[in-house]
Amino acid sequence: MNDFTIIRRSLAARKLSTVFTSLSVAVAVALMLVLFMMRDSGRAAFERGSGNMHMLVSADSDPLTAILNSVFLAAPPRRPLEHAKFEQLAAKAPWEYFIPTQIGDSYRGLPVFATTGDFFTKFKPGPDETWRLKSGRFFDKDFEIVLGFRAAEATGLKVGDKIALTHGMPKTRAQMQEEGISGEQPAPHVHEEYKFEVVGILEPTGGAHDRALITGITSAWILHAHDRREKEEHLRDAGAGNKEEEHGHEHDHDHGHEALTTEADLIDSDKKITGVYARVMTRPGSDSSAMIPVVFSQMRTDPTITVAQPTQEINKLFAIVGSVDQILIAMAAVVAASSGISILLALYNSMEQRRRQIAVLRVLGASAGRIFRLVLAESLLLGAIGAAFGVVAALIGARIVASEMKARLGLVIEPSIAPLMGVYVVGGAILLAGIAGLLPAFVAYRTSVAKNLRPLG
Amino acid sequence: MNTPATALAIDDLHFTYGRNHFEIAIAALRLEPGEQVLLTGGSGTGKSTILQIIAGLVDPRRGTVRVAGKEMHALHGAARDRFRGAHIGMIFQTFNLLQGFSALENVLAALMFGELPRHEHRGHALGLLKSLGIAKPDALVETMSVGQQQRVAVARAVACRPALVLADEPTASLDPENSAAAIELIQRTCSESGAALLCTSHDPAMKARFPRVESLDDLRRPIATGTGAGA
Repeated sequence: MNDFTIIRRSLAARKLSTVFTSLSVAVAVALMLVLFMMRDSGRAAFERGSGNMHMLVSADSDPLTAILNSVFLAAPPRRPLEHAKFEQLAAKAPWEYFIPTQIGDSYRGLPVFATTGDFFTKFKPGPDETWRLKSGRFFDKDFEIVLGFRAAEATGLKVGDKIALTHGMPKTRAQMQEEGISGEQPAPHVHEEYKFEVVGILEPTGGAHDRALITGITSAWILHAHDRREKEEHLRDAGAGNKEEEHGHEHDHDHGHEALTTEADLIDSDKKITGVYARVMTRPGSDSSAMIPVVFSQMRTDPTITVAQPTQEINKLFAIVGSVDQILIAMAAVVAASSGISILLALYNSMEQRRRQIAVLRVLGASAGRIFRLVLAESLLLGAIGAAFGVVAALIGARIVASEMKARLGLVIEPSIAPLMGVYVVGGAILLAGIAGLLPAFVAYRTSVAKNLRPLG
Repeated sequence: MNTPATALAIDDLHFTYGRNHFEIAIAALRLEPGEQVLLTGGSGTGKSTILQIIAGLVDPRRGTVRVAGKEMHALHGAARDRFRGAHIGMIFQTFNLLQGFSALENVLAALMFGELPRHEHRGHALGLLKSLGIAKPDALVETMSVGQQQRVAVARAVACRPALVLADEPTASLDPENSAAAIELIQRTCSESGAALLCTSHDPAMKARFPRVESLDDLRRPIATGTGAGA
């Protein structure tokens, strides 16, 4: 038997009030934590994703969409860059790298990111970071594929496995609504003719590429060239068929569709590029260059392309989200304050019923100070219980929000509670509970023992 | 060899309260260790208030109250509370048990504030409850019969081996048969634990059960010997 037993019994005696008061604290803590987690994890995911590129070139409608699509692999861009344009732009500035990328295919809902070998050797996923392999090697031939860390985790694929890619990516809910598609996803078209061999699995980087399957851009071009050639063949067959029918001939319609397309069959229109990761020449060891704004301005004069500086776009995005963030944090603070008030009211109201208990404890030898501390500790415990539930709810809530963001925007955010943030929010909730408990504790401190044992007389 | 201090010594006690200046006055009252005294008086004459003054819950206007040789009202704050917890046990008409706590926890709650070493608490409390016929010490007190609750209240009062037990109308809500059994239990338990007992009652039938009876009216008179009149 100790003070904690007394507190525990007191809380158990008011189960409903204890549950609802703790819940109100839990909601406030969860709300705060989810907001902070999503803000910090979201920002970290955005900041890491763009690696060491200086700018992104695409044919998207606006720079932010370009970044979301080509860097965070949210959705395939609607309009690709033609290969001729790519070559023209590549010659336009002193690039350290100018890496073509293409997204559009997928494997089990995960994006396939097609690029060149420069992506692994020149584009860095983070400051002073290089791509590291968990197993296997980088691709160096057509139809070889390297898995991002999360993609390997999600698919269970290993080096040596062979897979067929799906044409297109599953549409986000927003895209389906926009395109008037209701119900199920449209049936996918699988490029069964070409098997890609898994040759490597990457270490995690914390960026969007972790959930991608990365292959050579020529392989992606060949897949789509094959589709083009099949369509052309069907059209030819259809034309020939009509003629044959006109002439009353009967023919076997197997014209050898299984003939595979090779790099030699590619024409310029097959070589579509959805985004270009670009970095201007810099001095060794430096990340900036006086040339960046010059090149950026020069590139922006071309109306057929969109040029985006990831840092600027991320800042713009967070400036928009930031004000919403502040409103939500203010709302969470209001919820926290109201949970403090509910603790105060719950304890204060319970004082009426507990006067006799307090008086008995005083008779048994508890000092007024000890009674004060008991009530205060009870309030702190309510705060701590609420905060503990809040942390659990926040972790679950953040996962739900993250999965919604992935489903709606294609953004991958891995929420986690930063220790310091956790200490501040949980500590804040407990402190608030402590402050709320001061008045009831004072009332308990002042409780007259003589009056509450039985009437004088 | 030290003689044990007088369990209770009251001198020249005056207390007033209310608009009508209701007054309680006791010239002198002594209880020796283990002595059992019944304090009588009509309803509203201040019997309960006297017990509260003795317990240090209410301060008198003047006079001294010594419990086990220590002047209660010279102690302040937590020191007085600690002293009360360790040296005075109280039994109430309505028992005033801690609701939501088991019989064992009610006794342990008293021991929390006493001087018995912590490791002895559980064994001591269980032994006491067993000796008082409580078969289920882990049962919540509100689920117990009135008789059992009274036993728990008695166990709690003597748990800290106090010098003095104050019983405030402990039989007021009981029928005569149960009343006799209850007072017998209190007296026997106090005798076994060596505690002096000061019991208040307005029930004239109680007088026969105590070796010494004091009337509040008689106590107002100054007594030359400094000892209360015998029954």
